[in-house]
Amino acid sequence: MEFRLAISSMIKFTNVSKEYKIDEGYTFFALKKVNLEIKEKEFVSIMGPSGSGKSTLMHLIGLLDRPTNGQIYIANKEISKISDDEISRLRNEFVGFVFQQFNLISKLTVFENVVLPTIYSRRSLDFSPQERTLEILTKFGLKDKINSYPNKLSGGQQQRVAMARALIMKPRLILADEPTGNLDSKTGHEIMMLLEKLNKEEKITIVLVTHEVDIAKYAKRTIKIRDGMIEN
Amino acid sequence: MKNFIFIFKSAIEDFSRNKLRTFLTSLGILIGIFAVVVLMALGLGLKKYISDQFETMGKNSLFLVPGRVLSGGSFTGSVSSVSGRFDDRDLQTLKKINNIIGVAPLAFKSTKIKGLLKEDYGDIMFSSETFADIMGLEIDTGRFFDKSDVSKKTKVIVIGSKIATDYYGSIEEAIGKKITIDNVKFTIIGVTKSKGGGGMGGFDYDKYLFAPYTTGFIFNPDKRFFRLSVKVKNENYISQVKEDIKKEFLKRYKDEEFSIVEPTELMSAITSIFSVLNLILVAIAAISLLVGGIGIMNIMYVTVSDRIKEIGIRRALGARKSDISYQFLAESVLLSSIGGLLGLGFAYLGVLLAESFFPAYIDLLTVIIALGVSSAIGITFGVFPARKAANLEPVEVIRYE
Repeated sequence: MEFRLAISSMIKFTNVSKEYKIDEGYTFFALKKVNLEIKEKEFVSIMGPSGSGKSTLMHLIGLLDRPTNGQIYIANKEISKISDDEISRLRNEFVGFVFQQFNLISKLTVFENVVLPTIYSRRSLDFSPQERTLEILTKFGLKDKINSYPNKLSGGQQQRVAMARALIMKPRLILADEPTGNLDSKTGHEIMMLLEKLNKEEKITIVLVTHEVDIAKYAKRTIKIRDGMIEN
Repeated sequence: MKNFIFIFKSAIEDFSRNKLRTFLTSLGILIGIFAVVVLMALGLGLKKYISDQFETMGKNSLFLVPGRVLSGGSFTGSVSSVSGRFDDRDLQTLKKINNIIGVAPLAFKSTKIKGLLKEDYGDIMFSSETFADIMGLEIDTGRFFDKSDVSKKTKVIVIGSKIATDYYGSIEEAIGKKITIDNVKFTIIGVTKSKGGGGMGGFDYDKYLFAPYTTGFIFNPDKRFFRLSVKVKNENYISQVKEDIKKEFLKRYKDEEFSIVEPTELMSAITSIFSVLNLILVAIAAISLLVGGIGIMNIMYVTVSDRIKEIGIRRALGARKSDISYQFLAESVLLSSIGGLLGLGFAYLGVLLAESFFPAYIDLLTVIIALGVSSAIGITFGVFPARKAANLEPVEVIRYE
């Protein structure tokens, strides 16, 4: 416990609520006064049934959404106080996303998909985007697919392309939203092993959203969520 | 910079995948730019044609015509009436005014002309030795009649190049030959250089014959002139001479019975009428540009809806609102520029075709305007769809299926 406190805070939620106005007079509370903290280099899974609010939580951690109430600190920065452009910059440099639907851009080749985040970077990079793209894709066994389009690839290959894209900007956090949801269990476990390796070897913080128990087992800590609240 | 190259590259790749849609979308702009450029080219050509016509009239000339021609720089009413013609007395009046170095009266005669090869109706202009200078006529072979021809009433004649070839076969054959005009024999002493022209109300001097006005009194017993032209010493004297002529002529005529016209004044009046007409036509054609722009806007809105997922992914990867906005703006600008370039290309072909029977040309300004306007349309009509795309909430679009 003491050793954990020494590690700096990656994500911190204090009394975070998220409400959606469905109709006039009816409000849906997706998250209710959530408090949580994820520290650097952790591998955390967020589990919960559908409709529990885990996707909302994921979107808030990934800076894709802003809370209705409460504070979110990313690397000790309070995100409600920063501009949209600054949030875009954080998404670009700080977070890497891996989605259930892979979310590759179908009209771009594998190579172009992976290199895309570097296009949106406004700072000078300490690596060559082309070389790094090639390097990661080679490591993931996709070297011969760099000029293919995503629809010519298997699910496992597409998810590896998505992982390569998540890694290109050397993020400190990877957010994986049901990354195995569209894969068979063998491929799913391969992807999870890859995430595990990234956490162990490259010290990247990983937040995994899943509803599968044996997938959640890869994480060192599990946060359970139900009806918009964290279960203890 | 890398961002812009990437954006344009992916837009072009997108278009090449959707060639038909790209073409149809830019068709409106194509037609609009085509119409505007062609009309501008015709307008420019016409303007140049008119100024060329006046250019030949020689500098520092003034024309006296019966009736009212110009008032305040525009045309009014009738040009002339048969009754209101000048005579020899007016000619003498002009000769007495200071700083006039030459006077050329003008009388017309349309009659039967008999040459070596042909007998047909033709037109003769009777004037003085100054006429060639004032009208900008040049001699190809031989000479123009001179002062002594005028004072001695010699039966000499200068003919247009077309008359020479029609009636004698060639210019060389015509020189020195006799030509019969209404049973009076004239000696051909010169042939004018071909000027072209004619059509649209201008004279085709190649088809005219020119003889001393004094000799012409044979056919013109009451010695009346259709027009009097004056050559002024230099341009500094033009307004003074104009005043002097007016003063002298008012002694004999009423103000509305004669007009003193400067060719440049006449030219600007004619040009301004054509310019206004041309502007109206161009404005009508520009409406199709507006329609084309709306077409692009419509397609861009469709594109934004089609690509909501893509926008979400790009935002998740760190694209700013402005990155998304530029991406869609680049596409609409490219779409309209493609239309503009194609329209310009077709207009160029159209002008090449038209050139043979109508003066028309495209100048650099027209090209700049065409391309500027088409990209401006892309920006104007692309801005709203681009803003819509940029303002989509990432969380909404990432969830979108």
